[in-house]
Amino acid sequence: MKDISCKVLVIGGGPGGYVAAIRAGQLGLDTVIVDPKPMGGTCLNVGCIPSKALIHAANEYRHVSKMARGERTPGVRVENPSFDLAAAVEWKDGIVARLNGGVAGLLKKAKVKTVRGWARFRDGKTVSVDTETGTQVIRAEEIVIATGSKPVELPFLKFGEKVLSSTEVLSLAEPPKRLVVVGAGYIGLELGTAYAKMGSHVEVVEAENRILPQYPADLTRPVAARLKDLGVVLHLGAKAKGLVGEDALLIETAGGRDERLPCDKVLVTVGRAPLTEGWGLEELALDMDGRFIAVDDRCRTSMRGLYAIGDVTGEPMLAHRAMAQGEMVAEIIAGHRRAWDKAAIPAVCFTDPEIVTVGLSEAEAKHQGIEVKTGQFPFKANGRAMTLEDEDGFVQVVARADNHQVLGIQAVGGGVAELSAAFSLALEMGAVLEDIAGTIHAHPTQSEGFQEAALKTLGHALHV
Amino acid sequence: MADKFDLIVIGAGPGGYVAAIRAAQLGMKVACVEKRDTLGGTCLNVGCIPSKALLTASEKYHEAKEELDRFGVDVGSVKLDLKKMMGHKDDVVKSNVTGVAFLFKKNKITWLKGLGTIPAPGKVQVEDAKGKKETYETDKILIATGSDVMNLPGVEIDEKQIVSSTGALDLAKVPKTMVVIGGGYIGLEMGSVWSRLGTKVTVVEFLDKIVPTMDEEVGKQFHRILGKQGIEFKLKTKVTAAKAQKSGVKLTLEPAAGGDAEEMKADVVLVAIGRRPLTDNLGLDKIGVETDKRGFIAVDEDFQTNVEGIYAIGDAIPGPMLAHKAEEDGMAAVEIMAGQSPHVDYNLVPGIVYTWPEVASIGKTEQQLKADGVAYKVGKFPFSANGRARAMNATDGFVKILADKETDKVLGCHILGPNAGDLIHEVATAAAFGASAEDIAMTCHGHPTLNEAVKEAALAVDGRPIHI
Ligand SMILES: Cc1cc2nc3c(=O)[nH]c(=O)nc-3n(C[C@H](O)[C@H](O)[C@H](O)COP(=O)(O)OP(=O)(O)OC[C@H]3O[C@@H](n4cnc5c(N)ncnc54)[C@H](O)[C@@H]3O)c2cc1C
Ligand SMILES: Cc1cc2nc3c(=O)[nH]c(=O)nc-3n(C[C@H](O)[C@H](O)[C@H](O)COP(=O)(O)OP(=O)(O)OC[C@H]3O[C@@H](n4cnc5c(N)ncnc54)[C@H](O)[C@@H]3O)c2cc1C
Repeated sequence: MKDISCKVLVIGGGPGGYVAAIRAGQLGLDTVIVDPKPMGGTCLNVGCIPSKALIHAANEYRHVSKMARGERTPGVRVENPSFDLAAAVEWKDGIVARLNGGVAGLLKKAKVKTVRGWARFRDGKTVSVDTETGTQVIRAEEIVIATGSKPVELPFLKFGEKVLSSTEVLSLAEPPKRLVVVGAGYIGLELGTAYAKMGSHVEVVEAENRILPQYPADLTRPVAARLKDLGVVLHLGAKAKGLVGEDALLIETAGGRDERLPCDKVLVTVGRAPLTEGWGLEELALDMDGRFIAVDDRCRTSMRGLYAIGDVTGEPMLAHRAMAQGEMVAEIIAGHRRAWDKAAIPAVCFTDPEIVTVGLSEAEAKHQGIEVKTGQFPFKANGRAMTLEDEDGFVQVVARADNHQVLGIQAVGGGVAELSAAFSLALEMGAVLEDIAGTIHAHPTQSEGFQEAALKTLGHALHV
Repeated sequence: MADKFDLIVIGAGPGGYVAAIRAAQLGMKVACVEKRDTLGGTCLNVGCIPSKALLTASEKYHEAKEELDRFGVDVGSVKLDLKKMMGHKDDVVKSNVTGVAFLFKKNKITWLKGLGTIPAPGKVQVEDAKGKKETYETDKILIATGSDVMNLPGVEIDEKQIVSSTGALDLAKVPKTMVVIGGGYIGLEMGSVWSRLGTKVTVVEFLDKIVPTMDEEVGKQFHRILGKQGIEFKLKTKVTAAKAQKSGVKLTLEPAAGGDAEEMKADVVLVAIGRRPLTDNLGLDKIGVETDKRGFIAVDEDFQTNVEGIYAIGDAIPGPMLAHKAEEDGMAAVEIMAGQSPHVDYNLVPGIVYTWPEVASIGKTEQQLKADGVAYKVGKFPFSANGRARAMNATDGFVKILADKETDKVLGCHILGPNAGDLIHEVATAAAFGASAEDIAMTCHGHPTLNEAVKEAALAVDGRPIHI
C-alpha cells in the first residue's frame, strides 16, 4: 500500500476529531482522519445521540402512561399504552446511521481523506493503520490525537452478558425486569431513568451519599424526587462488591451490611477513562496530567507537532468541549492566533428533570474567596411551565456582590437544556445582573426564569 | 373623597400588574383598577396562557394519535374529552391569576375593582359592577388598558358560532369545520389547536401571505408545514359577510383585488384580524389626552402622554402588541417616575408563534434590511442536521441569522423549529449586547442541544458551518 503524506492527521473520528478534520479541510489543509468505526465517535455511535433518542422515547412513553392513568394532560384519554424497545432501538439505530453518513459526507465535502482502521504511532510523525486491506502508513506534519475515552470497568464486575456498559444498554431487545445501575453520575442516571420509564424496576448503587455528586446538591433534589416517583430505589453511600449467583448483585450498604439486590442486568457507569492504550503512546514522550495527556491552552502536547483534544485530555469529558478544542486546533495549525479562553462550558444532564450548570456554583465561588449574591426563581411561578405541566425546578444566578458580574448560572427543570446557550453567552459577554434583567424575555417562555432569577438576585423579582 | 395614592394604574394586564408591583417595590403607594373579576388582563385570562395550555394539550393529543409509534410507543386508543381539557386550561388560568392576586397582597397593592375613568389629571373614578362610583386622588396615573378584539364589518361576533379568540378558547364541542379569518399568529395558533383536535380548518387571509410581518423565507416554509398538517389557506381573499344560521355560518368571500363572490359554510368562524387598543372607555377626549386615529395613545420617551402626570404603556400605545413588551414598558415607566433611566428597545422584543413547529424572531427581517438599504450577511442552518432535533423526531425548520456585512453585528434572527421560543433568547441576550455573529459562534454550546443550530447559523454567517 502506498504511504500517505499529509499536512494534518487526525486520530479518532469523535466530535473532537471529526470537527478538527472538517475545520482543517475548510481551511484548505491537506487532512486525513483515521477511525476503525463509523464516523462520530462515542458521542454519535454509543453516547450523546443514541442515549438522548432512547430518553426521548422513554419520556414520551412515560407521558402517555401518565395520560392513561389520568395524571397528565387532562382531556386526552389513552388506553393500554405499550412500549416496544426493539422498535425504539431500530429507530435510534436509523438516526445514528444517518448521522454517521452525514459526518462522512461533511468530511468528504471538506476534502478530508478518511482511512478506516486502528492507528498506531511509529514515531512522532508517522502512524501505521491496520486497515481491512493491509497496513497503511501515514506521515503527517501535524498530528491531532483525539482517541477519546472508554467506560471504566470494575475488576469484580467485568462487562459481559449480565454486566453492561453504557454501550450495550443502548441496544437491548427488551427492558430488563430488574436493572441495577452502579454509579449515579449523569450517564447512569440518564439511562437508569429511561429504563425505569420503560417499565424496568431500577435500583441505583452510589458510593457517595447523594446522586450526581458532581453537581450542587440543591440542583439534584428535583431529580431525586422524580426518581422516587418512578419507583427507583437508591442505595447511597453503598458499594457494589460483585455478582452472587445468577441473579443478584452484592453490595455493602452505608451501614456496612451486605445486601443482595436481585437483578437481571447490571449497568456499570462509574466513569470514563481516557483511551491511552493500544496506539503507541509509549513510543512518544508525552507529558501526562494524571491519566490524561497534558495539553496547554492551544491543545499542544509536550511534543512539537502533536496536539491532543477531547476526552483524552481531561475533564470536563463532554462532546462540545471536544468540538470546540477541535475547531481551535485546526485554526491554530492553519496559522490563526487562537487560544482556549472559554468563559463557560455548559454541562447538561438529560435526567428528569434536566440540569444545566454554566460557570461557577455558589460554593465554588465562595471557595475562591469571592463574595457572592445569588437568586433563585422557581418554575412554579412561571406561566409557561404551568402550560407545559412541568413546574418542578428553578433557575439560579450567582453573581459577584460588588460589581454584579454574573459568575455562574444553574437550572433544573423540564427542557432547561435549551436554556443553556443563553447562559453561556451571558457569561462570555461578561454580563452583569442588570444586563440580564434588562434583556427582554418573551412571554410565556421558560427563559423568563433567567430574567426573573437575575431580578431576584438584584432584590426585586416580579413574579415571586 | 377616598384614599390618595402615589400611582393609580388602570388595567391589570401584564403591563399594568407588573408596573404596579415594580412601583410598590420602589416605595410608591399603589392602586390598580381592573374591571374583570380576575387580575392578569388579556394575557392571563383569555390570551397567552389559556392559548398555550390548549396548544400543549392538543399537541399531546395529536402526538399520541399520530407520532409515537415511530419510536416504539404504542397507544391502544386515544380519545378526546374536550370538557376535561377545557377544565385543565381553566385550572392553569386560575393558578396564574390567583398568583397575581397573591403578588398584589404581598406588595400591598390596592385592587380597585371596577371600570376606571379619568375625570381630570390626578383623579381616577372607579365604577363598580353595581354602578357605585368612587373617585380617588393620585399623584400619577398609568394607563394600561390594553387591547380588545378588532371587529370586522359585516361579521357580528356572538362567541358561539362566530367567535373571537376568547370564544375559540372555550368551544363546547369540536366543530367539524372552522374558518379562521386572518392569518396572523393568533388565528394560526387557535386554528392549530382545533385542527389537531379534529376540525377541518380553513384560514382566509387578505394579503398574499400568512403572518405578513415574518421574514418571508421563514413564512413560506411555515406556510408549507401548516399546509402539510392539513390546514387549508385561502390567500388574497376577503370575507365580506358572515351570517350565523341555525346550523353553521354562511360566509361570503371575495378576491382581495375584487372579483366574483363565493360562498362558504363552516360550523364556526373565528375572527382573528388583529387587536385594537382599548382606550375609548377612559374619557380621554375630555381631558385632552392625544390618541392616533387607530386609538393608540401617543407617549414620549418617558411613556408620558401629552398631559402631565398621565402615562401609558402596553397594547394601549404603539409598538409590538405583546405581553412581554407591555411588562417591559410597565417596569420602565414606573422606574422613570422614580427617577431612574431605563430604556426599552422595541427592536429587541422577541416574537413567538406557538404552533408546531414554533416560530420565533427578533430584530429585522431580510425584507426590512433590504428596504432600509443595509448591507447584510445571512447564515442558515436546518434542524435536520442537528442531533438533538433528530433524537426528538423534530427536524422541520431552520435557524436564520442576519448580520451586518461590515461589522458582523447581529441584526435579526428568525427561527422556525422545535422550541424556537426558548432558542431565540440566546440571540436576544446577544443582541442586547450588540454582539456579533462571531460572538455567538465562539460561545461553547452544549451538546446535544437544539441551541447548537443557532451556533451553526452564526458560523454560517461567516461561510463556515461545521455540520452542513
Ligand atoms: C452514554 C453516554 C452519553 C453521553 N452523553 C453526553 C452528552 O449528552 N453530552 C456531552 O457533551 N457528552 C456526552 N457524552 C460524552 C461524549 O460522548 C464524549 O465527551 C465525546 O464523545 C468525546 O469526544 P472525543 O472526540 O474526545 O472522543 P470519542 O467520541 O470517544 O471518539 C474517539 C474516537 O477515536 C477512535 N479511536 C480511538 N483510538 C483510535 C486509534 N488508535 N486509531 C483510530 N481511531 C481511534 C475511537 O474509535 C472513537 O471513535 C456521553 C457519553 C456516553 C458514553
Ligand atoms: C389569544 C391570544 C393569545 C396571545 N398570546 C400571546 C403570547 O403568546 N405572547 C404574547 O406576548 N402576547 C400574546 N398575546 C397578546 C397579549 O395578551 C397582550 O399583548 C397583552 O395582554 C397586553 O398587555 P396589556 O397589559 O397592555 O393589556 P391587557 O392584557 O389587554 O390588559 C388590560 C386590562 O385592562 C382592563 N381594562 C381596560 N380598560 C379598563 C378600564 N377603563 N378600567 C378598568 N380596567 C380596564 C382590561 O379588562 C384588561 O384586563 C395574546 C393575545 C391573545 C388574544
